[in-house]
Amino acid sequence: MSRETSFTFDGAPMAAVEGQTIAAALIENGVMSWRTTRFGDRPRGLFCGIGVCFDCLITVNGEPNVRACLSAVEPGDDVRTQAGDGHV
Amino acid sequence: MNADVIVIGAGIVGACCAHYCAQAGLSVIVVDRGSVAGGTTGAGEGNILVSDKEPGPELDLALLSRELWAQMAGELGDSFELDAKGGLVVATRAATLEHLHRFAAEQAEAGVIAEPVTAKGLRDHEPHIARDLLGGVFYPQDMQVQPMLAAARLLQHARSTGRVTVLPETEVLEIERDGSGAVTGVRTPTERISAPHVVNAAGTWGGVVAGLARVDLPILPRRGFILVTEPLPPMIRHKVYAADYVANVASDNAGLETSAVIEGTHSGTVLIGSSRERVGFDKTLDWEVIRQEAQQAVAIFPFLADVQLMRTYGGFRPYCPDHLPVIGPDSRAPGFLHACGHEGAGIGLAAATGLLIAQAIAGTNLAMDIAPFAPNRFEGAHVA
Amino acid sequence: MAMSDIAAPTVDVVILGAGAAGVAAAVVAARSGCRVTVIDNGPTPGGQYYRGAPPIDSEPSSGPRDLSYAELRAEFDRLTGSGVIDYRSRRTAYAISRHDDDFVIRLRGDDRHRGEIADFRARAVIVATGAFDRHLPFPGWELPGVMSGGGAQLLVKGSGVIPGQRAVVAGTGPFLLAVSGTLLEHGAHVPAIVEANNPSRFITRASAIRGGLSKSGEFLGYVSRLARHRVPYLHRHRVIEAIGVDRVEAVRIARVDADWRVVEGTDRVIECDALAIGYGFVAQTDLAGQLGAQMVLGADGGLVVDVDPNLSTSVPGLFAAGETTGVGGVEAARVEGLLAGASVADHLGRPPALTRRGLDVVRRDIATWQGFAEALHATFPVRDGWRDQVRDDTMMCRCEEVRAGQVREAIDDLGARDTRAVKLFTRAGMGWCQGRICSSAVDSLCGFGTTQSLGDAAVRPLVVPVPLGALANGQMEG
Ligand SMILES: Cc1cc2nc3c(=O)[nH]c(=O)nc-3n(C[C@H](O)[C@H](O)[C@H](O)COP(=O)(O)OP(=O)(O)OC[C@H]3O[C@@H](n4cnc5c(N)ncnc54)[C@H](O)[C@@H]3O)c2cc1C
Ligand SMILES: Cc1cc2nc3c(=O)[nH]c(=O)nc-3n(C[C@H](O)[C@H](O)[C@H](O)COP(=O)(O)OP(=O)(O)OC[C@H]3O[C@@H](n4cnc5c(N)ncnc54)[C@H](O)[C@@H]3O)c2cc1C
Ligand code: FES
Repeated sequence: MSRETSFTFDGAPMAAVEGQTIAAALIENGVMSWRTTRFGDRPRGLFCGIGVCFDCLITVNGEPNVRACLSAVEPGDDVRTQAGDGHV
Repeated sequence: MNADVIVIGAGIVGACCAHYCAQAGLSVIVVDRGSVAGGTTGAGEGNILVSDKEPGPELDLALLSRELWAQMAGELGDSFELDAKGGLVVATRAATLEHLHRFAAEQAEAGVIAEPVTAKGLRDHEPHIARDLLGGVFYPQDMQVQPMLAAARLLQHARSTGRVTVLPETEVLEIERDGSGAVTGVRTPTERISAPHVVNAAGTWGGVVAGLARVDLPILPRRGFILVTEPLPPMIRHKVYAADYVANVASDNAGLETSAVIEGTHSGTVLIGSSRERVGFDKTLDWEVIRQEAQQAVAIFPFLADVQLMRTYGGFRPYCPDHLPVIGPDSRAPGFLHACGHEGAGIGLAAATGLLIAQAIAGTNLAMDIAPFAPNRFEGAHVA
Repeated sequence: MAMSDIAAPTVDVVILGAGAAGVAAAVVAARSGCRVTVIDNGPTPGGQYYRGAPPIDSEPSSGPRDLSYAELRAEFDRLTGSGVIDYRSRRTAYAISRHDDDFVIRLRGDDRHRGEIADFRARAVIVATGAFDRHLPFPGWELPGVMSGGGAQLLVKGSGVIPGQRAVVAGTGPFLLAVSGTLLEHGAHVPAIVEANNPSRFITRASAIRGGLSKSGEFLGYVSRLARHRVPYLHRHRVIEAIGVDRVEAVRIARVDADWRVVEGTDRVIECDALAIGYGFVAQTDLAGQLGAQMVLGADGGLVVDVDPNLSTSVPGLFAAGETTGVGGVEAARVEGLLAGASVADHLGRPPALTRRGLDVVRRDIATWQGFAEALHATFPVRDGWRDQVRDDTMMCRCEEVRAGQVREAIDDLGARDTRAVKLFTRAGMGWCQGRICSSAVDSLCGFGTTQSLGDAAVRPLVVPVPLGALANGQMEG
C-alpha cells in the first residue's frame, strides 16, 4: 500500500513514504531542524504543522522558503537546509 | 495642566516640533488621540528626499531638513536606522531621460548634488538592475529612516529633557480661544490644558483640527499602498525609482497613479511604493494598484519576479491644493500654529518644520522664509 | 480593470476550506442546485480533523445523529466525481475582494507551484477555513521539538510519524487527551500530560447539555485509556520552560494556581525529546477580514467572524461556518456547514435541499454544540498568570525574533497604545506568519484584548505570499 520513495537531504539519501510531507520524512529520519533564523542563527523545524507559522521553511530543488509541513516528498527531491532568508 | 506649547499629533512632525521646542527651552505637552506614530507616520515609508523636488520653497525646506536629520541622528545615536544610501532615478524612455537630465541640472543650480549616470553606469550603482534602462541620475543626498522609530525616539529623547510630556490616547476635542481670538489651550475628554501656543501637527487630519479652532485649512487625503516582500539579502543598495515618479508627485490627477519606488530595509524586506490616488479615506485594497506596482518593480529589478509579496499596507498622505505644506503662525488665530499638509514628504520635511515652528514660537530668527507655507494662503480661507 | 478580473469565471458559490464545515456546506449547497466550487489547500478533503485517509464510519460521531461526516464525505466524493461540485485541492485563496456585486477570489498553487495564480468570481462565498493552535510564549518554546498539539496530531495521523520517543503533551483543553491518545497508539511514550486548568468540572458541565453526555463519555474514555498507559494527567500544571541546546531535551513544569501563577518551589524537570503544546485554537478570519466582515470575541476570548442565526456575516452574500465562527470542535463545524449550505442556497433564491424539519434538527444541534463549546471554554480558559512566566528575553515573535522585553519597551517607553503600534515599533507580527502565531499573545501581554486590537492585528492583505512576477502578469492558469 504505502510505497517507499527516496530523496536527498543536504546531499545524503533518505527514505520516505510516498505522499508523506517533507517535514514528516525528515523527522522520521531523526532530523528535527532544517533551517536557521535570520538574526539569531538558531535552528528551527516543524512547529504548527499546518502551514500557518512558516517555521518549517526549507529549500527544495533550489527553491527556497517551501513549507516542509505542507509539501509532499517527490521522488528524487534535492532538499536542503536553509540559512537566514534562504536566498543565496 | 499647562505648558508653553501644546502639540496636537505625535507623528513625525509633532515629534520634531517637540524636539526643537524643548531645545529652545520651552515646555511642551504632546497629545495624540492614539499611539505615538500611529497616524500616517506609521503608514508610509521613510525617505528623506531631495531628488524628487523641483527648485522652489519645498526643495529649500528639504535641503535644510536633511542637514537637521543628520544632526538629530548624531545626537540620538543610531536609534532610528538613518541610512544615507542615496537615490537613483532611472529612465525607461528617451524622452524621460532627457527630461530627467534637464530637471537634474536645474536642481543642481539650487544646491542639489545630482550626478548623471549612463546606462552602463547604472549597473555600478545597482548590480541587479534591468539591462534595458537608458540611464539616470544619482542623488547622494537622499536618505532613509525608520519613521515610527524616529518619532518615538525623538519623543523619548525630548521627555528626557524634563520639558516634554507625551499624552497618548488623548484626543483634542476643542481648541479654546479668548475674546481677542487668541488661543488659550485645548480641551480633551478628561481635562483642559492651557498654553499660549497650540501647534496643529495632525497630519492628514490637520484640516479637522484647524476646524476645532474654527479656522479653515484645506487638507485632503491622498491614498497610497506599499508592497512588502519576503526578506532578502541586500540586493538593492539605494532608493531606486523611475523618473515618472517625479511627474506623479506634482500631478493634479485624481485617478490612480503608480510609479515604482523600490528600496531595501534593515530587516531585509524590499518596499515597493507607492501609488497615489484621491479616493477619500477608503482603505479597501485595490488589486489593480498591486498589479501595476508589481509590474513596474519587476521592470526595474527583474529578479523581483521570483520574490514573493508578503504583505501590503497603506495610508493617506495629507495634501494641500498647491502641494506645499502649511507651516507657521495662523494670523487668523493668534497663538495657533500649523505644521501639517506635508503630503508624501512629511518624514523628510519634519525636521525643518519642527525647527521653524520652534523658532516662530521662541521669536528667534527663522532659518528660512516661511511665507510660501503661510496658513492663510488659500483662497476663501476665513474665520468661521 | 485588471485583465485577470475579466477572465474570471463566475460560479454561484465558492466555499473556502474543505474541512468538516466546508464539505457539509458543499453537499447541501450543491444538492440545492447551486454551482459550487470548493477551494482547499490540502491534498484531500477533510480539514484538520479528517486529514489523511477517507473516514470509515467507525470514527466517533457522537451526539444527535443527522448526517454523519462519513455520509457527507461519501456524498461529497460522489458529487465531485460527477462534476456537480468543482473541488480544487492544493489551492490557497490568498485574497478576496468585492467586484460589482460579485466576490473575486484569488487563488494560488501550493508552495511548489506558487507562481500559478488564478481568479474566480462568485455570487456568494462561505468561509470555512478552520483554526490553528493558540500559543502562549514561554522560555524555550522556539526550540526544535517543541510543536503545536495540532501539528503533532497531524504528523502522526497524516504521515504516521511520531515527533519523538518521549513526548510531553501540555497546554489546556480536552484536545491534549486526543493528542496523547494518538501518540500512545503510535508507540510514543508520554511522560506526562500537563493541563493548566482543572478539567474535573468539564464532565459536569458537558453532561448537563443535551447530547453532551456522549462528549463527556468520550472524554472519560480518553482518561481511562491514559490511566491504562499510566500517563500522569497533571491538573493545574504548566510547562514554564523548554530546556535544550539545539532541540528540546527536557521541560520544566510547575504547579499553578487558578490564575496560572506558579506555586513557588513546585517546579521540576521532565526529560523528553518532544513537546506538543497548545492552549486552544485561533480562528482563521483573514479572508472574512479582508472583506471588512464584522468580528466579535468568541467564548474563548479570541477573534471570530460575527454571524447571524443563519450564519450570514455582516457582508451580504458572505457566510461563515465551522471554527471561523467560534472554536467548538468538529461536530459543531459539521452542523454549521449544513446550515451555511442551506443559507447560501436561500440567499441565491434556490430552495434549500434541507427540509424545514431537517433545518430544525440542524439548528438544535448547533445550539447543543454551542453549549458544549461554552462548557469547554468555561473549563479551559486562558488565565493571565501565563504572562508572569514571560521573561524579557522570552521570544514573542518567532519570525522576526522579537523578545518580550522589546514589546514591553514599546508600551512603557515608546508610546504604543495598540497592537498596530507595537508591531510597527518592534516588528512583532511582521514576519512570514503575519502575526498568526504571536499576535494574540502580544495583545494579551500588552493587556489590550479588545475586538479592535485583535482585529487590527489580524489584518492580512495576503493570506499567503505570492511571487511578484505572477501578480505582475495577472492570470496564469484557470
Ligand atoms: C504610502 C505612503 C508613503 C509615504 N512615503 C513617504 C516617504 O517615503 N517619505 C516621506 O517623507 N513621507 C512619506 N509619506 C508621507 C508621510 O508619511 C507623511 O507626510 C507624514 O507621516 C505626516 O506626518 P505627521 O506627523 O504630519 O502626521 P501623522 O503621522 O498622521 O500624525 C498626526 C497625528 O495626529 C493625531 N491626531 C489627529 N487628530 C487629533 C486630535 N483631534 N487630537 C489628538 N490627536 C490627533 C493622529 O492620531 C496622528 O497620530 C508617505 C505616506 C504614505 C501614505
Ligand atoms: C492542526 C490541527 C489538528 C487538529 N486535530 C484535531 C483532532 O485530532 N481532533 C479534534 O477533535 N479536533 C482537532 N482539531 C480541531 C479541528 O480544527 C476542528 O475540530 C475541525 O477540524 C473544524 O473543522 P472546520 O471545517 O471548521 O475547519 P478545518 O478542519 O480546519 O478545515 C478548514 C480547511 O480550510 C483550509 N484552508 C484554510 N485557509 C485556506 C485558504 N486560505 N485557502 C484554501 N484553503 C484554506 C484548511 O487547510 C482546511 O483544510 C485540530 C485542529 C488543528 C489546527
Ligand atoms: S510548521 Fe508551521 S508552516 Fe510548516
